[in-house]
Amino acid sequence: MTLIHVPRPDLKIAMNPDRPVNALLKAQVQHLHGAERNLPVRHRTDIYINAIKTEGEAAEYIRQVTTAIHEAHKAAAKKPTRGIAIAAVASDGIPEKSKVSRKAKKRSPKKKTGSTT
Amino acid sequence: MPPGLDNLKHIVVLMMENRSFDHMLGSLAAVDPRIDGVTDALSNPDTTGASVKPQPLAEFQSQLDPDPDHHFRAVDLQIFGGDTSPARTANMQGFVKSYFNQQEDVGHSQKIMYYFTQSQLPVLTTLALEFAVFNRWFASIPGPTICNRAFAHYGTSFGRVDMNPIYINEPFKNIYDRLLNANPKHTAKLYYYDATSSTMEVANLLQNEPELFGTYQQFLDDCNSGNLPQYSFIEPNYNDHDSDSGEEVANDQHPDHNVQAGELFIASVYNAIKQNADLWTSTALLIVYDEHGGIYDHVVPPACPPDQFTASANDTGTGQPFAFDRLGVRVPAILVSPWIPKGTVVSNRVFDHASIPATITRFFLGSYSPRSPRESNADVFIEPNVAPVDPARNLLSLDTMRTDCPDFDV
Repeated sequence: MTLIHVPRPDLKIAMNPDRPVNALLKAQVQHLHGAERNLPVRHRTDIYINAIKTEGEAAEYIRQVTTAIHEAHKAAAKKPTRGIAIAAVASDGIPEKSKVSRKAKKRSPKKKTGSTT
Repeated sequence: MPPGLDNLKHIVVLMMENRSFDHMLGSLAAVDPRIDGVTDALSNPDTTGASVKPQPLAEFQSQLDPDPDHHFRAVDLQIFGGDTSPARTANMQGFVKSYFNQQEDVGHSQKIMYYFTQSQLPVLTTLALEFAVFNRWFASIPGPTICNRAFAHYGTSFGRVDMNPIYINEPFKNIYDRLLNANPKHTAKLYYYDATSSTMEVANLLQNEPELFGTYQQFLDDCNSGNLPQYSFIEPNYNDHDSDSGEEVANDQHPDHNVQAGELFIASVYNAIKQNADLWTSTALLIVYDEHGGIYDHVVPPACPPDQFTASANDTGTGQPFAFDRLGVRVPAILVSPWIPKGTVVSNRVFDHASIPATITRFFLGSYSPRSPRESNADVFIEPNVAPVDPARNLLSLDTMRTDCPDFDV
């Protein structure tokens, strides 16, 4: 069995968070920005992505939004959904007609988010 | 049945960034002439008309700056040499011209022809010589990262040839959902490096199914504990950042990130699998690059059966639509398993990233529908373990497992 030595890069040279952000990271930031706009407001960042110029700045935004997406899904999973809440109300014996009219009054128009299907 | 296939329970895919076959593995033609790498006969013209040969002068960092253009229009120039006539023939003569367009510096444009020596890349070249190296693995599209990576997840890019988010508008499910929703249920995970690096599959998978994802540390833990899913897809670290454990250098090898950092990462993935004896016996690891990153390769990408989508002339930027009927530029691809004979060179078969979901689907699920036309036509790199297995196609062909596989000192 052969042991192959793997040289390590010189971190002082290799590491450069001030490097201008490349096209790939720009695209990743833009995709995350699209995802961020679909998050509940309390999970959004206050980072203005057009001001992101360096890899380090991009990395911080990527971290915050990625973490927020996970947290938003976890929070949503803990909450009963609107459908379950309505079903619970219905099971309390509210007549069908008034249940529908209450639902119609409370529902706000659906936003077009541009999210994927 | 072949014991390599009988034992195979896990397939791991590590997809690196933006390096061509000749750039990374071209030097190996001098070691093993069956490997279709760099020879003295190859060249590209520069903008003065001078002939520029590939030279073993590649550096780990700071050489390919600015990042070579690899959007559809630039790759079209690289492949066709600037010929836009209807009767044109691909000739791989436009790489230097394309790089010149970015800085208009003749000397700098010639660096696009540089390649690494074997000794500079001890991990990648050792794995290529020890296991199976593919002479004909191409990017799925002559274009950039996002659309090429989509082929690895969905078997199609749904008509995209660029970096825009990909919206799923056809019934082709990603490979993870196919496995997780199967009966019996299978297991699958995408491991991004950490939350600060995240994934390139944001618009669909991260946004809608974040539970599919784990971190690289979780991959290491899953290897240690023997809990690796049947299918794992690993993404490298795409950016330099600080973490709780210190400075994290980008290890994706995307220019202008450090190539040695990527070597360490590849070795780390290999070691993580190999240090668990049960896992090593039962796992195949594919190391592949998403696309060539604008860097020279000499093999003409072949035509392929079209996908059911067409990218518009506006999207390609070439004035012509694209029917996804030609593959992208060739990239390094290596399959690792102790059941593969040392020094396997896979020639005369064509693969692209659609081969990834094609292989995973056929091996774990058998038949599955619907799949994109490109995926349905893609070759598989691991044969389904169903009789009769064609010995000429089965790469995990040894009757007994190798005990001479290398270790890396990481």
